[in-house]
Amino acid sequence: MTSYFVRRFLLILPTFIGVTILVFTLTRLVPGGPIERMLNEAALAGSEGGAVVSSGFDGRGGSVLSDEQIAQLERYYGFDKPVIISYFEWLGKIFTLDLGTSTRYTEPVWETIKSRLPISIFYGVATLILTYGVCIPLGIVKAIKHKTVFDNVSSALVFFGYAIPSYVVGIACLTLFAANLEWFPLAGFVSDDFDDLTTMGKALDILDHAVLPLIAYLAGSFAVTTLLMKNSLMDNLAADYVRTAIAKGMAFKRAVFAHACRNSLIPLATSFGNTITLVITGSFLIEKIFNIDGFGLLGFESLVERDYPVVMGILVISSLLFLVGNILSDICVAFVDPRVKFGSGGSNQ
Amino acid sequence: MPLLAIENLAVSFETDEGIVDVIDGVSIDLAEGETLGLVGESGCGKSVTALTVMGLLPKPAGRVVGGAIHFDGRDITSLTSEELSTIRGRDIAMIFQEPMTALNPVHRVGNQLAESYRLHHPEASKAEIREESLKLMDHVGIPAAEQRLDEYPHQLSGGMRQRVMIAMALSSKPRVLIADEPTTALDVTIQAQILELLRDLQNEYGMAIVFITHDLGVIAELASRVVVMYAGRVAEAAPVDALFASPKHPYAQGLLASIPRLDSEPKSLLPTIPGVVPRIEDLPDGCRFSNRCAHARDACWTDKPAIESVATDRTVACLRWRELEQQAAASA
Ligand SMILES: Nc1ncnc2c1ncn2[C@@H]1O[C@H](COP(=O)(O)OP(=O)(O)OP(=O)(O)O)[C@@H](O)[C@H]1O
Ligand code: SF4
Ligand SMILES: [Mg+2]
Repeated sequence: MTSYFVRRFLLILPTFIGVTILVFTLTRLVPGGPIERMLNEAALAGSEGGAVVSSGFDGRGGSVLSDEQIAQLERYYGFDKPVIISYFEWLGKIFTLDLGTSTRYTEPVWETIKSRLPISIFYGVATLILTYGVCIPLGIVKAIKHKTVFDNVSSALVFFGYAIPSYVVGIACLTLFAANLEWFPLAGFVSDDFDDLTTMGKALDILDHAVLPLIAYLAGSFAVTTLLMKNSLMDNLAADYVRTAIAKGMAFKRAVFAHACRNSLIPLATSFGNTITLVITGSFLIEKIFNIDGFGLLGFESLVERDYPVVMGILVISSLLFLVGNILSDICVAFVDPRVKFGSGGSNQ
Repeated sequence: MPLLAIENLAVSFETDEGIVDVIDGVSIDLAEGETLGLVGESGCGKSVTALTVMGLLPKPAGRVVGGAIHFDGRDITSLTSEELSTIRGRDIAMIFQEPMTALNPVHRVGNQLAESYRLHHPEASKAEIREESLKLMDHVGIPAAEQRLDEYPHQLSGGMRQRVMIAMALSSKPRVLIADEPTTALDVTIQAQILELLRDLQNEYGMAIVFITHDLGVIAELASRVVVMYAGRVAEAAPVDALFASPKHPYAQGLLASIPRLDSEPKSLLPTIPGVVPRIEDLPDGCRFSNRCAHARDACWTDKPAIESVATDRTVACLRWRELEQQAAASA
């Protein structure tokens, strides 16, 4: 069992190297390459549609890099050296968390990212816990009460949430509960006087600010996981080994929990890695609406502002997160499904 | 009084095409300690009959629509699920056709075995359960039982898993063991071992066995009485020797003729029953075998054959069995 995890962890390294090669290739294409042109077009299209919500944004397609900034970029990515050498030099920098300097904030990229990370992780983990905390029990009850009123009504509700875009939920919540009713603060991750608060006060302050964005994040996230849980459990309820358990004299309800539930968590555990990455990288729209300085907003603004070092930094960090997420889901799967650990070969992806 | 008496049982399934009468008036008696063979082609309702006895019909599709099942004097079709779980596993145990899927892949073999022991001996301590489990594993011929208990089902071969299933079934010392094609999914050599094991265990525990199979050879080896089913009805029920000596029902005759015999000409073609079992929803109104029966007359298509007693402990459901027997006697 341990050897499985060791093997799995050792796999991170080659995968990460692969990802960095991809990202590095991208840097060779910017600035001035196809990526830049693409950005131009995207920005133009965005400003015409009037949908782009960015602030420091001129109609022509974001702030243009100065010659000096371009030269600095080229130095960082080693444009003056052969590809292989500059790749390894860049890789070395990444391992020491030197991701270059943000052209917008003129501070190290890692610092910029680091300041956003706790916020994103907070929302990511909270969303994750709430999603699974609601979806798993709900899916179980729905499977047992298949085709009853409860099942139908809850399906209607989760699909209603799924059908409305999350930014619409966000704006609606903001207008109703923050602007009109003033139950919750309008925006931000914490209040301005956060540093003066007691520990308890700080926690409450964060919660107070988190309620509405979390609703926006969560509204659409129940449908898929709940239905996955329900269907997976229904499949397992019909499985032979549940019949065996009942044939042994076990009551149906107990057989559901002792035998079917754990097995039906396997598909959920498999998708766990994906979910965690998606959730942590956030949604720039929701972050924008609630003025939360998270990962999503940072990525979006950096793209619009041509802040390449930050864009590349985020790419590297989120690939790493993705790798870690995948490993986490493998570990989860291995915990619920003993067949994995004993299988030949390390990876079952 | 028989230990288990299935009386005129009728089971129907609700399907997309409407309600189908999968079991239509089946009566089977099982005496204490006897081995009863239940044979018939695939789809004739053997498993459904067994599952009905266990109260394990797939819900809500399957329903008992008529008849009764008396166990030890009680009608178990009218019991609630809770009342039934005091009989299920304890008095009547069942092993299934597919040992590969019958065990839960995510729980250790030992836990699954311990679970069934604990269900029927709630007061047992951990150490006792472990000891009993080892004994049971040993009993059903699993080597290195200690180690096997800590393994997962996928680490065991099919034969081993079926032995584990048998061990679980035996943990409560049941009075009836229903074995639904327990060897169909296994290699021939393993089949023989499992049959041998069941016979030994029956001698030791004295339980009655209902052995479901489509292999008449197995019946000849194991059972003392046999019930031949066709399309949800009992065609013929008889002591094994009597049936093999002179089958009365044309379907039973066909079945027997289609098994190889030592005295038949080598490499000759075995006779087979022409045609296939129609889908239950397309069955003829009268005798359900009429579209394949060589002896069918007009009446066979419209009149449902009654279950007639041929001798003590022997019944047949064919409109023409007497007539056919006279013809056979005349031509002999
Ligand atoms: N869940 C179900 N829904 C609808 N029909 C069913 C269901 N289960 C069984 N049946 C029908 O009941 C009939 C009898 O099936 P059963 O499984 O008892 O056959 P069997 O004699 O055990 O066959 P086999 O030898 O293949 O195991 C079949 O015609 C089948 O189509
Ligand atoms: S009743 Fe008629 S069709 Fe049915 S088995 Fe007898 S002879 Fe054949
Ligand atoms: Mg069957």
